[in-house]
Amino acid sequence: CSSLAGIMLLEVFLVLGTLLIYFLFSKKREETLPFKDGWWGKGQKPVTQEDTSVRPFKVETTEEELSDLFRRLDQARFTEPLENSCFHYGTNSVHLRKVVSYWKNQFNWKKQVEVLNKYPQFKTKIQGIDIHFVHVKPPRLPEGQAAKPLLMVHGWPGSFYEFYKIIPLLTDPASHGLGDEHIFEVICPSIPGYGFSEAPHKKDFNSVSAASVFYELMLRLGFNEFYTQGGDWGWLICTNLAQIAPNHVKGLHLNMASVSKLGLTHLLSILLGRYFPGLFGFQDEDVRRMFPFLKKGLYRILSESGYAHIQATKPDTVGCGLNDSPVGLAAYILEKFSSWTDMEFQNLEDGGLERKFSLDDLLTNVMIYWVSGCIVSSMRFYKENLQKGIGTQKHEKLTVQVPTGIASFPNEILHTPQAWAKKKYTNIVSFHFMPRGGHFAAFEEPELLAKDILQFVGKVEKEQLWKKK
Amino acid sequence: ESILSRIRPFEYSQKNAVLVPAAALGVGGMLLYWLRSGRKIKTIEMGDGWWGSGERPLKGKEDESIRPFKIETSDKEIEDLHRRLDHFRFTPHVEGAAFHYGFNSSYLRKVVAYWRNQFDWRKQVEVLNKYPHFHTTIEGIDIHFIHVKPSYVPHGRAVQPLLMVHGWPGSFYEFYKIIPLLTEPARHGLNEGDVVFEVICPSIPGYGFSEAPHQKGFDSIATARIFHKLMNRLGFKEYYLQGGDWGSRITTNMAQMLPQSVKGLHLNIVFTGRQSLGRLICIMLGAYVPWLVGLSREDARLFYPFMQKNVYDVLRESGYLHIQATKPDTAGCGLNDSPVGLAAYILEKFSTWTDKSFLDKDDGGLESKYSLDELLTNVMIYWVTSSIVSSMRYYKENISKDPNLNAYNRYGIYVPTGIAAFPQEILHMPRVWAKDVLKNIISYSYMPRGGHFAAFEEPKLLAQDIMQFVRKVEQL
Repeated sequence: CSSLAGIMLLEVFLVLGTLLIYFLFSKKREETLPFKDGWWGKGQKPVTQEDTSVRPFKVETTEEELSDLFRRLDQARFTEPLENSCFHYGTNSVHLRKVVSYWKNQFNWKKQVEVLNKYPQFKTKIQGIDIHFVHVKPPRLPEGQAAKPLLMVHGWPGSFYEFYKIIPLLTDPASHGLGDEHIFEVICPSIPGYGFSEAPHKKDFNSVSAASVFYELMLRLGFNEFYTQGGDWGWLICTNLAQIAPNHVKGLHLNMASVSKLGLTHLLSILLGRYFPGLFGFQDEDVRRMFPFLKKGLYRILSESGYAHIQATKPDTVGCGLNDSPVGLAAYILEKFSSWTDMEFQNLEDGGLERKFSLDDLLTNVMIYWVSGCIVSSMRFYKENLQKGIGTQKHEKLTVQVPTGIASFPNEILHTPQAWAKKKYTNIVSFHFMPRGGHFAAFEEPELLAKDILQFVGKVEKEQLWKKK
Repeated sequence: ESILSRIRPFEYSQKNAVLVPAAALGVGGMLLYWLRSGRKIKTIEMGDGWWGSGERPLKGKEDESIRPFKIETSDKEIEDLHRRLDHFRFTPHVEGAAFHYGFNSSYLRKVVAYWRNQFDWRKQVEVLNKYPHFHTTIEGIDIHFIHVKPSYVPHGRAVQPLLMVHGWPGSFYEFYKIIPLLTEPARHGLNEGDVVFEVICPSIPGYGFSEAPHQKGFDSIATARIFHKLMNRLGFKEYYLQGGDWGSRITTNMAQMLPQSVKGLHLNIVFTGRQSLGRLICIMLGAYVPWLVGLSREDARLFYPFMQKNVYDVLRESGYLHIQATKPDTAGCGLNDSPVGLAAYILEKFSTWTDKSFLDKDDGGLESKYSLDELLTNVMIYWVTSSIVSSMRYYKENISKDPNLNAYNRYGIYVPTGIAAFPQEILHMPRVWAKDVLKNIISYSYMPRGGHFAAFEEPKLLAQDIMQFVRKVEQL
């Protein structure tokens, strides 16, 4: 009898102990990511107060800039591709020659600069560096309605320009047949080191640094609560922002949602998910997109991540020549606009480049990298984020409680099923399989993405979900 | 007691019935194993290939002439280079970067200034032309090579033919300092002239002055076959081979293809790797008890800490390999258009692969082991021939999905092999594991200093090792 009481006591302690550990453990995972302050300017941080003014900015060009570009395009040295290689060895130089010819003879940079300047742009100094951003307010607002601030963050090798087609759908949805229940004022910054944002002069500027800088930006612009949207690096920066300031981020919308912490369940679901999808929470579409796993997962990662490997280790080396040869820069960047829009485009002689994008749009994006000379600093972001390995950083271990909406595009490089995403994004309000589109969602399918953002925001606003934390 | 008494007679009578078949099985098994592993050495099939453009011509024999060749340059070429150097667009590095982010751009500016104002390409072309160059067409493409014979051979001495193969981002030029030590050893105080070589250094197709293949699939086995054909065309039936980097793989394939033609194989890097559970266990144990798994103290010093040296360091240094093995035409495009970009990309390797600690230096330690003239001459070979893209394609053609499928790891190498293990080489291969594939190692030397570009950096050490190896082979 005494032993029975003893056993019961032991059981009680065991249960309590487990609960305690679980409680502590889970509590730990819900902690916020600390704001990362920093100083990224040259030399020592000055004692004086930082200039916090927001200055209007316009993209400009000069005759000298254009003639220098043309001279380099004229003297480009091409290497003949192997017979029948299409885009399997990278950008096909026969097609590249055609692109360069268009670039020289038809592409009008002055006109494109005007296109870029159609939205108001600004610069402001944060943590020692000039941050560039586009800020578009709605042209008209119905009585009594306020514009919802939306921060949209680009990735690599993209830029703020990727959002130029989706911005009007969000600031003026009614004119585009999307209803006027939710109207946004959109802020698209350039990640430091990209485009017209100054590059950090110090080491260690990673996604948490970028999220902290953008957080400061939103506060400086007077926004206490806002939505964020992102893909590619934008996905990670917006996720970090939601982890740093969950009380300020009303909703997080992503067109890419990677998971960097792979555990035993992931491994099992890779091995068995094709045969027992229900067991692992996979839907039919998940299975269709993920399997056969070797082909669509492992080999794809290996064949497509060479650029990330070299950029995460030797960015200054690989970017050096690209900042000197516009043709080399175009080949490097456009290759991604081909294969990341549709992996099958590698089998085409022209890489399928003009099937979804116009050459004007593609080259405008390349020109942003060229005229700002930012290719090297854009590549450093890979090293600052990946050099310690994937899955090792603190923010990768933390979850996200902010209401999250995920638009899953079919031709995204790697598919993340909702079953995996919800381990990190604990509050997924909407998860939709998009009918078409690839990695550069805003650029390629602005209407689909805008619709998904609108329905997501609709859900969050209706149920006032951001207040329920 | 009663049970035991019943078992014993069972045992004794059935003993033979059990033992005899067991013995037969054992002997039979051993016999079978011996027959299978056999006396006959498996070789790589030679096969054939066509790398010219379009279809292979059905009629007519290939032109087998060996044509003398001289490297040339022009004012136009030099002016174009200078113009590009003048217009280079430079990106400042982050503070305290040294060589950790890649080639340091402040130091690069100094290199470019030297290149523009002091480097004399015409003079370097004369240096390159001091050895006789030739071209010959094999399998549809022009193969470039230099062929240096000793100027003086003591009466009755045999001259050993030696084929030396370069790698990436090197060239035939890497051998310019070692060639005189091998063709005229006595004059350089290396020996009394008992071992003398005539040296042939070809350029791998797609590198330097060798034409690039126009067809897909040009790998190290095709290269091995072409180099055998080259030696045959030059009249050699038996020869020595020496290689590092890609040259190591190519010469090893040559030894696997035609062992009867290879008198000896000398390598300054070994790439074989049979991945297996046993190997993994040996690696783990070797960190604590190296002697138990056959590792010497020097092996342990070079090989451990395992994760640091073989995983992290390799991951940190292999970005170029990853992108070149998947998207060579993209990676090389800008480099063929920007000489400064090309120099940064290539010279970064001459820094890190010579000594890993050079990563901490602002100037990458480049000029502590090499002169800017020789470094830039190698870069110029890639520049004037526009061969960077085709040189990178070699990675894609050779790196297949499953490394264990490579002929490299499947066939053993039975020709006499000599290995020179340099301390700063990227990967160290202990003798006990090299033996898995290299079955006939007759010399394995731990070199006192030097890195990946052995012939370029430590020509005398390498020459001495080659000679002691050849001496051993000749005495066998």
